[in-house]
Amino acid sequence: MAVYKRSYRGYSGALTPAWSRFLVLYRFARRTMFRSRFQTGFFTLCFFFPLLCLLGIYANAHLSAFSFLTKRSGPLLKMDGSFFYIFTSVQCTLAFLLTAFLGPGLVSPDLANGALTLYLCRPLARTEYVLGKLSVLVITLSWITWVPGAVLFFTQSAMEKGWMAANFNLLIGVLVGSFLWILVLSLLSLALSAWVKWRVVAGALLLAVFFMGGGFGNAINAVLQTQQGYLIDIARLISIVEVSFFRDGTPQPFSPLEASLALLAIAGCCLWLLMRKVRPNEVIE
Amino acid sequence: MNLLRWQQVLGVIRLEIRKTFFAKRGFWIYLLALAPVGLFLLHTIIEIQLRHMGRTRDASIGQMSFIYAGIFQFFYLRLAIFFGCLGIFMNLFRGEMLDKSLHFYLLTPMRREVLLVGKYLAGLIAASVIFSISTALQLAAVLAQFDSATISHFLYQSHGLSQIASYLGVTILACLGYGSVFLAAGMLFRNPIIPAAVVLVWEAANPVLPSILKKISVIYYLKSLCPVSIPVDPGMPSLLALLVSNAEPVAGYLAVTGLLLLSALILVASMKRVRRLEINYTTE
Repeated sequence: MAVYKRSYRGYSGALTPAWSRFLVLYRFARRTMFRSRFQTGFFTLCFFFPLLCLLGIYANAHLSAFSFLTKRSGPLLKMDGSFFYIFTSVQCTLAFLLTAFLGPGLVSPDLANGALTLYLCRPLARTEYVLGKLSVLVITLSWITWVPGAVLFFTQSAMEKGWMAANFNLLIGVLVGSFLWILVLSLLSLALSAWVKWRVVAGALLLAVFFMGGGFGNAINAVLQTQQGYLIDIARLISIVEVSFFRDGTPQPFSPLEASLALLAIAGCCLWLLMRKVRPNEVIE
Repeated sequence: MNLLRWQQVLGVIRLEIRKTFFAKRGFWIYLLALAPVGLFLLHTIIEIQLRHMGRTRDASIGQMSFIYAGIFQFFYLRLAIFFGCLGIFMNLFRGEMLDKSLHFYLLTPMRREVLLVGKYLAGLIAASVIFSISTALQLAAVLAQFDSATISHFLYQSHGLSQIASYLGVTILACLGYGSVFLAAGMLFRNPIIPAAVVLVWEAANPVLPSILKKISVIYYLKSLCPVSIPVDPGMPSLLALLVSNAEPVAGYLAVTGLLLLSALILVASMKRVRRLEINYTTE
């Protein structure tokens, strides 16, 4: 073909619907994510505990088959709030570790290499870019938090008649607790990823923010003889929300509503910080 | 080491000190160090205001020194200095690799062990200065709420001066211990999250470890040197309280020797590693 015929022609193929364009970023990020053997291995490991719980539920419901193992007449596991609280806590901890590996690499390479313009010159808005990057974490973390939690809940419901109606708040607890945790974790890691150029430093900072928040919150409480220090302890705030669904009556420094508002405020701050960094290049004449 | 080597070490220290103290990316370390100062200052201001208003919470100097000991052991040593050293010492080698500037050092006619010692000493000086000043300021902020008679009684008759000296010494030893650990980790691992998380868990689990394993940690020696010991929380679940054992504190000279030995061992291992260090910036 003659060179002069290789002129620009607009793309004439099928367009991705506008509402789902952000998922294109997820699709590409997922490929990168599972290219690392360590991350793939860790992600797989995150399903070990839910599987163990599932086996526990099964064994619980079919206790007669396992009667040779125990002389106890009662159930092996008590399927109550404590069970789901422990399950959610373990999975949320694993979600935190997974975020520390995945999150920092999502935005920082785009900013450090000036690649943001390449995204934004396509029919993709800033909000869609952020939504796309956020979806990478939200979808991945969902697979290891509320999805297996819901599976456990419905499995137990199928095993015991009337259990579902009596314990519906446990499902809400799993969903609300996991959603809040995922939202705060994702936004925090994306904000750190956007503000810290180095991926590895952003990961270490995520670790520091969580542990320092808890430690400094306790220091504030001890020195100022107050309980307001817990407001900067993200893990404690999420625990207050979860406990309200799973373990009624446990005294807490704040109401679940106050804790949820504090978490949303932290998420809002992170989003603001993120949006400040995610900007197309300006042409200065 | 001959004179030339020492001059080379001093040269590296001079270069690194400037980078460590004035780097924009190290700004958060100052925040980390000064956060408890702000907290104690706020407490003092509140106490003075309450006193002016005729109300007081009656915090005696003994109570305050106990609260300070708790904050020092559980927040300052285990978290602030820990993460501060992580930031300073991991940056010495790993930061240069990320900046793609380590080869400039390696191209100079200098033994790599000299480079490592120079970098370590520079990090140690920076961390010790930053965190010791913070410790001194925290103690000053704690004491500022009391009148001069109470302060002089505490300093000269209640072993206050020796307590202050102990806190400053423990701060420097913590920088020395954690510094060596993170310097080695910076050369061994590409991602600092893994060693940081492992060391953090190991140090946090120290009270429940068997006594032989307790000794392979930095916090064990530092706790022994702290002037005020904090008992096990009475609100702790009984199962955990059974596991937690407040190990017999070792004698001061043994604790210092143990920590120096631990750091020296890690540094010797790092020296062996740095000899075989190869740079591949494309994988960073």
